Amino acid sequence: MTQPVSVMLKVNGKALTANAATPDTLLTVLRDQFLLTGAKRGCNQGVCGACTVLADGRPVRSCLSLALDCDDRRIDTIEGLTGQPIMQTLQRAFIAGGAFQCGFCTPAMLVASFALLQSNPNPSELEIRRALAGNYCRCTGYKKIVEAVLDAATRLPAEESA
Amino acid sequence: MPSSPSLFRPRTLDEALDILAGTPDARPISGGASLVAMMNAGLVEPAALVSLTRIPELSGIRLTADGSILVGAATRHSAIAADKALGGTAAVLAHAASQIAGTAVRNMGTIGGAVAHADPGLDFPPALFAVDARVQLAAKPARRALPIGDFFVDWYTTALEPGEIVIGFEIPKPKPGDGFYLKHARVSGDFAIVSIALSLADDGEARVAVGGCGPAPLASAEADLMLSSSLSADTARRAGEVLMALANPVDDVRGTAEYR
Repeated sequence: MTQPVSVMLKVNGKALTANAATPDTLLTVLRDQFLLTGAKRGCNQGVCGACTVLADGRPVRSCLSLALDCDDRRIDTIEGLTGQPIMQTLQRAFIAGGAFQCGFCTPAMLVASFALLQSNPNPSELEIRRALAGNYCRCTGYKKIVEAVLDAATRLPAEESA
Repeated sequence: MPSSPSLFRPRTLDEALDILAGTPDARPISGGASLVAMMNAGLVEPAALVSLTRIPELSGIRLTADGSILVGAATRHSAIAADKALGGTAAVLAHAASQIAGTAVRNMGTIGGAVAHADPGLDFPPALFAVDARVQLAAKPARRALPIGDFFVDWYTTALEPGEIVIGFEIPKPKPGDGFYLKHARVSGDFAIVSIALSLADDGEARVAVGGCGPAPLASAEADLMLSSSLSADTARRAGEVLMALANPVDDVRGTAEYR
């Protein structure tokens, strides 16, 4: 539809330059140009949630976001969030609880859980299930994922004050 | 006007309407939740896109002096789900918004985009019937408003003319009461197989609409009158029969016509 143009995106606190045409999604640019492959291309239809990233701090589907339309938003991916205490707590809880099977959905599960714990540090199991309802685990390993997020929530205050 | 890239990002409604009037193959895009998915699937290849998300007058929920509520077309589902102005009988709109897809999609999708897409499994259309909304439309040179029932024309077909966009929804002043949206779907967040939107005023007035059972939500003044007179199981069944007579469901991946 159009020639690619140069666009600067704020990703994980850095200004990165990409070449994107109008139909190119944020997911495509993150993965193919910035080599940030934590966000996955599952359905490419906004259904599976594997591409979830944060835009201005809130979870969005990078597969449904036009890259050129994201130049005024702050984008955070799993790679950038890994340094954050909440994310580290979540990651440890996922490892301790075996909240993985194939791992394909895991980065997006962590990003969505991170956003939840940021806004609600003490969620109920139902609140966790609601927050993760748009993130599919094709291995159906939801139980341990929800348990890991609950576990992480109990560990947040101690780790943050440590 | 730049020819490349063909993504326009107007800051005012006037500018957006000028671009749409002057670019015949341009498609308006708001949250992208439906249009980008269709582009990714190769179903549409718009020659140009006009992003509507940076136009302040299209975003947000406002109370007017007479108590009616204006919901801007580019208001996100998550904002509608959380809005305190949508109380009383208008609560049905917030309740429907809270059940759309998942958190990330609710942070992207907009009410105007959803309604313009006119998928029969969407959650907002029945809820907008239940609050007796009017749809505000704009094009160059004229604006108009239609009752929600006149907006949906056929399967995926609305009253929108080329170059025309949905700019908002007028919700009459809510009455004290409550509103509910009941969705029957395969999994949480999926498109509805069947859904029911109900607003129920403390004075007894009821408005009901059914989604997923035809090109547009089913609604009937007769059914509303029955439910307004009594909420017994018997009147509910008879109102259901009135609505069922209006149904024109189809088989799709979510369920058969007979099941609906």
